[in-house]
Amino acid sequence: MIEVNELSKKYYTFERGHTMREVIKTLVHRPMKEICAVNRISFKIEQGEMVAFLGPNGAGKSTTLKMLTGVLHPTSGEVRSLGLVPWKQRREYVRRIGAVFGQKSQLIWDIPPSDAFYMNKAIYSISDKDYAETLDELVELLQVGDVMRKPTRQLSLGERMKCEFIMAMLHRPELVFLDEPTIGLDMIAKENIRSFIRSMNKRKVTFILTTHDLEDVELLAERVMVINHGQIVVDDSLNGLRNRLGNKKSVRLTTEQPVPDSLPAGLKLLERIGPLEVELEIDTSALALKPFISQFNESYGIIDMAIEALPIEAVMKQLYEQSHTPVHSV
Amino acid sequence: MRVKLAEMMAYRSHFILSVLLLIVGDLVVPLVTLLVYRSGASFPGWTLHEALLVQAVFVLAKGIAFPFFFGMVGTTLSQVREGTFDLLLLRPRPVMFMSMLSGFDPDDFGRLVSGSVLFAFAMQGIVIPGGAAWVQFSLLFIASIAILFSMSLFLSGILFRWVGSSRVFDIFDAVSGFGMYPGTIFSKALQNVFTYILPIGLIAFVPASALLGREGWGSLWTLASAAALVLLGIVYWNRMLKNYTSAGG
Repeated sequence: MIEVNELSKKYYTFERGHTMREVIKTLVHRPMKEICAVNRISFKIEQGEMVAFLGPNGAGKSTTLKMLTGVLHPTSGEVRSLGLVPWKQRREYVRRIGAVFGQKSQLIWDIPPSDAFYMNKAIYSISDKDYAETLDELVELLQVGDVMRKPTRQLSLGERMKCEFIMAMLHRPELVFLDEPTIGLDMIAKENIRSFIRSMNKRKVTFILTTHDLEDVELLAERVMVINHGQIVVDDSLNGLRNRLGNKKSVRLTTEQPVPDSLPAGLKLLERIGPLEVELEIDTSALALKPFISQFNESYGIIDMAIEALPIEAVMKQLYEQSHTPVHSV
Repeated sequence: MRVKLAEMMAYRSHFILSVLLLIVGDLVVPLVTLLVYRSGASFPGWTLHEALLVQAVFVLAKGIAFPFFFGMVGTTLSQVREGTFDLLLLRPRPVMFMSMLSGFDPDDFGRLVSGSVLFAFAMQGIVIPGGAAWVQFSLLFIASIAILFSMSLFLSGILFRWVGSSRVFDIFDAVSGFGMYPGTIFSKALQNVFTYILPIGLIAFVPASALLGREGWGSLWTLASAAALVLLGIVYWNRMLKNYTSAGG
């Protein structure tokens, strides 16, 4: 469905100083800096997949997404998505894709979402019958029947986001790009949006998601691509990603005696929750659970204990902290 | 357009006030012209009504070009700076057309009202032109709209590189202001500049002169140059669009 080969995007930016001297100097000469936002990435995505693009701020996720949607022209490399080159056959391509940006609204602030939906009907040349059928179905799924006729500015963030999804799905796209779709939403709204995405994915709609909310990833994505410094550092399943840290687990302990900061090999203090409550990371290949429990019980007296798989955050933190690729000055 | 009108109607008082202010603003220069003529001075070779006709044609041309085309300059300015121009690129329609539609500004129809009032007033003081003059005027007026359209394309296009610079409006106002006066009051060199380099004179002076019977059919070359300018504007705009870099995500 999507085939990306050696895709790169470079751009130039001016370096500006902050002191008065530097500001005056930049009036005459502004040094330019080449930024390699995306550096020769290659991957394939099949129809019906739900893929999450993760990475720290400035890693190149959004730039990659913008090239895949046809918004930006790459510096080099190839993309074929739905059999088309996004930036060359833009009109034909965008008719078949949808996009939801958590921080850029497609709705119109002063008029009700229903008017904006009608505008999309005209833009995408959707027939009256298809429009009515799809809208009814989406309104039912997202339960926004009573808010559609209120001006957008009067809607809550959750209601607005549901309407953003209707805008993106009205023309029944085969491929949908989601850029931080749950940003700022409360738990209930997040769950509604996630369940909508899952139900659409069951109908073979492919989703590509970028997010900083790792719960979105855990609850939605089957495959995770981690981008850092413009390169794909991991392309794996969620479980595969977890296993990258080896046999590590998270242990939350409440003890009779305080646990010290310095711990034996195989143990790492993740968080001191209270004077007698800590969260530890245990590498079971270095220290098995049975001796760990007996040693800790003997030394500090275990009152309560919970052992879980290491949270995805810990995996991501380690990946994000990988070495930095320097930018080249010109 | 229906959506844009609905958007305007959400703030009716703002809409009405904007239209009224535009009408008043557009009538400032004609009122100054009236004062100049009342004080005994004049534009050499032009009666008051003839001078006002040039200004009426200018305002009428803006009354059509501004609501439909010039809004794209403002939308390019803000959307390129914020990165929301992405949303236009995600529509399965020509980007230029979408940019024009999103900039459609019904407030500017106020200029049509002030232009029409001024035009009617100016016509009362001149000899009613014949059919041929009206045909010539109509064709040259189309060229005038086309020139304003091409200007909006150049101004909008430059904003893909010159991100966030609202000075483009000042540039247009400073240059186009010369078009509100009869071309013959300027020096020959300046007349040539306003005809062949910055075609400001073709917006109002040439069509108004045709209506006054001062231009022969030869002035219709303006149609060809207007078409060439539009073509150049479209090529330029599309080339500049490739410089769009969006904003950080």
